[in-house]
Amino acid sequence: MKKYLCLGCGFSYDEARGLPEHGIAPGTRWADIPDDWVCPDCGTPKSGFEMVEIPYWSRT
Amino acid sequence: MSVSFVLRAGERGFSRLVSTGPNATYVAGHPDGVITRHSSFNFHEYQSGIAGFGSIRVFGDEVFSPNGTGYNMHPHHNFIIAAFVLGGALTHVNTIGKVDELRAGDFYVFSAGSGGKHAELNIGQENLNVIYLWVLPARLLAPPSYVRGHFDAKGNANRIACLIGDEADALPIGQAIKVSRLANERGRTHVYRTSPSRGVYAFVLEGEAEIAGTVLGRRDSLALTGEERIEIAARSATDLLLVETRL
Repeated sequence: MKKYLCLGCGFSYDEARGLPEHGIAPGTRWADIPDDWVCPDCGTPKSGFEMVEIPYWSRT
Repeated sequence: MSVSFVLRAGERGFSRLVSTGPNATYVAGHPDGVITRHSSFNFHEYQSGIAGFGSIRVFGDEVFSPNGTGYNMHPHHNFIIAAFVLGGALTHVNTIGKVDELRAGDFYVFSAGSGGKHAELNIGQENLNVIYLWVLPARLLAPPSYVRGHFDAKGNANRIACLIGDEADALPIGQAIKVSRLANERGRTHVYRTSPSRGVYAFVLEGEAEIAGTVLGRRDSLALTGEERIEIAARSATDLLLVETRL
């Protein structure tokens, strides 16, 4: 499960979490998201995302 | 030691954003309002250049025309966004609850983290010149934060001053980046100490400097890796930014 970051605004997509509020189920692979999908926050095309290996912040 | 790239001022991406047409909701200002942006790295419609360097993804040299031009409130996540005001006045408004005005020498660091919005406006009567730096964070979705600082050019003449980083008097934002500024008189040579495991992006704001053997003019830049010491020789009065990043 990978994470992708929008280089237009920083919005992050996590394959494990999906985006249920935008109709993308948890577990949806990046490759299975349509090529014409755009960042829900800023409209940057899917090609303007970068795969990142950055852990989540936690309080501990 | 190696030079990753040398980027001359005129080789940067160039965008001219106006407050009418497709960007009317994004760009603030009266109908003649204009933002010019020179991008060192790929950004938005400019995608034919360098993708980034280490954690750096955006280095924009922007000019906002007067009387209200800027970016209306818009959302961000994750990126650590720093702004360095070179001339004019920047009004910054964010959803952390801060309304700030920054003038030449002032800078801020806005970590968008789990989500925040900001507006960037020039409500003054003269052009605003500001450098925007975006850096990938060490952690995703951290609590958003905003801090500001000031570079005192006179008090820091002829020394490498750390603006953002772990050093005393610098704004701390974790390990992601270190930003230094050097306002230097002609003929002075300085050594910037770093680690071979890190990279340094040097950008000349004003003047002409020889950095690790490469002569750079105004708004030229270069990226270096594998260095322990970087020699910086001023060939005129110079002012430059040094952004150190993990690789």
